[in-house]
Amino acid sequence: MDDFLNILGSVFSAGTFNEMLRRATPVALAAIGGSLTEHAGIMNIGMDGMILMGAFFGVLGSALMSSAWGGIGMVLVLGVLVGLFFALFVVKFRSDEFIIGCALNTFALGLTTYLSRAIFGTSGAKGYPSLPTVDIPFLDSIPFLGEVLNHHSLFVYLTWLLVFVLWVFIYKTPYGFWLRASGEKPDTLRTAGIDPDKMKWIASVLCGILCGLAGAHLSLGYLNGTFAENMSNSRGYIAFACVIFGAANPSKAYLAALMFGFFDAIGLRLQDYVSSDLTGIIPYAITIIMMVYVVIRGQQKKKHAAKRLPDPAGKT
Amino acid sequence: MKNNPLLKKLNLRYLVSLLISIVLAFIIGAGILALSGFSPLKAYGAMLSGAFDSARHVGDFLEYAMVLCICGLACVLGARVGIFNVGGEGQLLLGAIFACQVGIWLDGFSPWIVIPAAALAAMIVGGFYAFIPGVLKVKVKVNEVITTIMLNTIAAYLCQYLAKGPWKNANKNMVAATEQLNAQYWFGNVIPRSSLSTAIFAAAIIAFIVWYVMQKTSRGFEMRLTGQNPRFARFSGIRTDRLVILCMVISGAMCGLVGMFRVYGAEHLYRDSVSRDYYFEALMVAMIAQYKPVTVIFLSLFFAVLKIGAQGMELIGVPSQIYLIIQTVIIFFMAAESGISASLQASAQKRKAKLAAKARQKGDVQHG
Repeated sequence: MDDFLNILGSVFSAGTFNEMLRRATPVALAAIGGSLTEHAGIMNIGMDGMILMGAFFGVLGSALMSSAWGGIGMVLVLGVLVGLFFALFVVKFRSDEFIIGCALNTFALGLTTYLSRAIFGTSGAKGYPSLPTVDIPFLDSIPFLGEVLNHHSLFVYLTWLLVFVLWVFIYKTPYGFWLRASGEKPDTLRTAGIDPDKMKWIASVLCGILCGLAGAHLSLGYLNGTFAENMSNSRGYIAFACVIFGAANPSKAYLAALMFGFFDAIGLRLQDYVSSDLTGIIPYAITIIMMVYVVIRGQQKKKHAAKRLPDPAGKT
Repeated sequence: MKNNPLLKKLNLRYLVSLLISIVLAFIIGAGILALSGFSPLKAYGAMLSGAFDSARHVGDFLEYAMVLCICGLACVLGARVGIFNVGGEGQLLLGAIFACQVGIWLDGFSPWIVIPAAALAAMIVGGFYAFIPGVLKVKVKVNEVITTIMLNTIAAYLCQYLAKGPWKNANKNMVAATEQLNAQYWFGNVIPRSSLSTAIFAAAIIAFIVWYVMQKTSRGFEMRLTGQNPRFARFSGIRTDRLVILCMVISGAMCGLVGMFRVYGAEHLYRDSVSRDYYFEALMVAMIAQYKPVTVIFLSLFFAVLKIGAQGMELIGVPSQIYLIIQTVIIFFMAAESGISASLQASAQKRKAKLAAKARQKGDVQHG
């Protein structure tokens, strides 16, 4: 029993929640980017590759300019390019999103591994300038919260801001309205004089930037200026699941990402008791369960709605 | 008979665009090589000799072609009925480790018992692992791409755990590996010292059966109908749900079997070199082949040569991943082929219209 309490204590410690924020952030950044493309009616499977490229070019920029900010600058440029590339195929050439997404992921894996070996050698890139952590002095005086919220890389806080900004953008501005219309009713939007393709281009460029930042956080914020081969490790797909879980609402997608981060962090805590190979399974299994839950709930809601519809007609 | 010329024309168009895509991809690959400081000619030379310089390498690429072909056909089988089995990697790994462990548990029995038992185990495990996302897709309508990818990672962790924990090889300290199979269960070598084993004959039979069922039987027609228009298929009396799950399970069983082939033919124990994202490369092949079985078979050979050849490039210091880049660039071109040709045509028409307008203007001026 004592053992059990010990485990429980370490699982629900401030350290776990601190770790949760750290681990959720790359997924969350990609997920809010994915929300944009999802609203624009693009099934973006290629986020994993975008993250991976962001991670690599972040380290490369950091190494070339010997400053983490150089890495971030490079990632921003790269994000725009990748977003344009993705939109060129999916929007302009109207290719199959699924094929392009899968190909983009494999392309990113090939390109980053190739360049990493060609530039940094087989041992990989390690120890290049990384992003500083942010210390907020007054937070430390709050007992639990301070430990959870303080001393993160800048991206953790930036993500909160971005979630809010994108939520406002999508739901409160005309651009967001057009964006949503470009996915749901493109013909209506065209009649209104706005090119739905243009909104799709914008969405995929923004998604490219956000996924690139997610990767940069992974390599420059989360790990200290380190790139490992295939380091995105299916996070892009988890982000995609978060998008669906949050019905493409950035704030809900962020909560889903937090949930992923929580289970990922729990796995880390449990490593003292169970093999790390088994605990590694947890976040991925949770993602599947999450997807099933979301779909079943969505269907139930639809059923209820269908039941409710005839009622007013019956009354009148 | 009337359809024949049209069919040929379509194939011709496909072949031409494939050829152009391949050439362009190699040119882009050469650009990347040159930018990163390697001589493209030397690198491609090393690629060619890496695949063909010895009988051993020829055997290796034939074996890899077998893996690509069966996995690619497994993917085609799913795609035909409208479900994408992206989880072949997990099915392959689990099939491999279970087949291997069956061989170790049954050590001492005749190969006539052990090998069918192992094959059955691999197929059951692989099939079951594909059954999960299949049912979720059909009954609950959960996107199968996400579930299969998650299941891939789960399978990789699970195999790692088994090979490091309960089923560990005591002789290998740090590496995750299972016990080695007794030599009497190994598949015979077809080309000495290469990884090509007699499994390739079994694979050829499987490939033939899959092709035959898909192209020549009414069941194959039902599959195509289900994939193209599920509603119509349901109304015409096909039990689409069952057919989709069945195809998914067979697809998974094929991937599991490939895992068994890898263990019994080449590796002789389970370790992570059984598959290094081989299924994803097969998926790419299936996509380039536009899910056509015969094309998958030929393209498997082509990409296997590239892959094994690329390993030869490592000898002169070029990272072999350039192969992945070339392969995906081909996919980009193939996937965008109709879009690119449409926009080319549009711009050509625009130019023509402009020229015509100009000519007309000139004509007007002269007349005027």
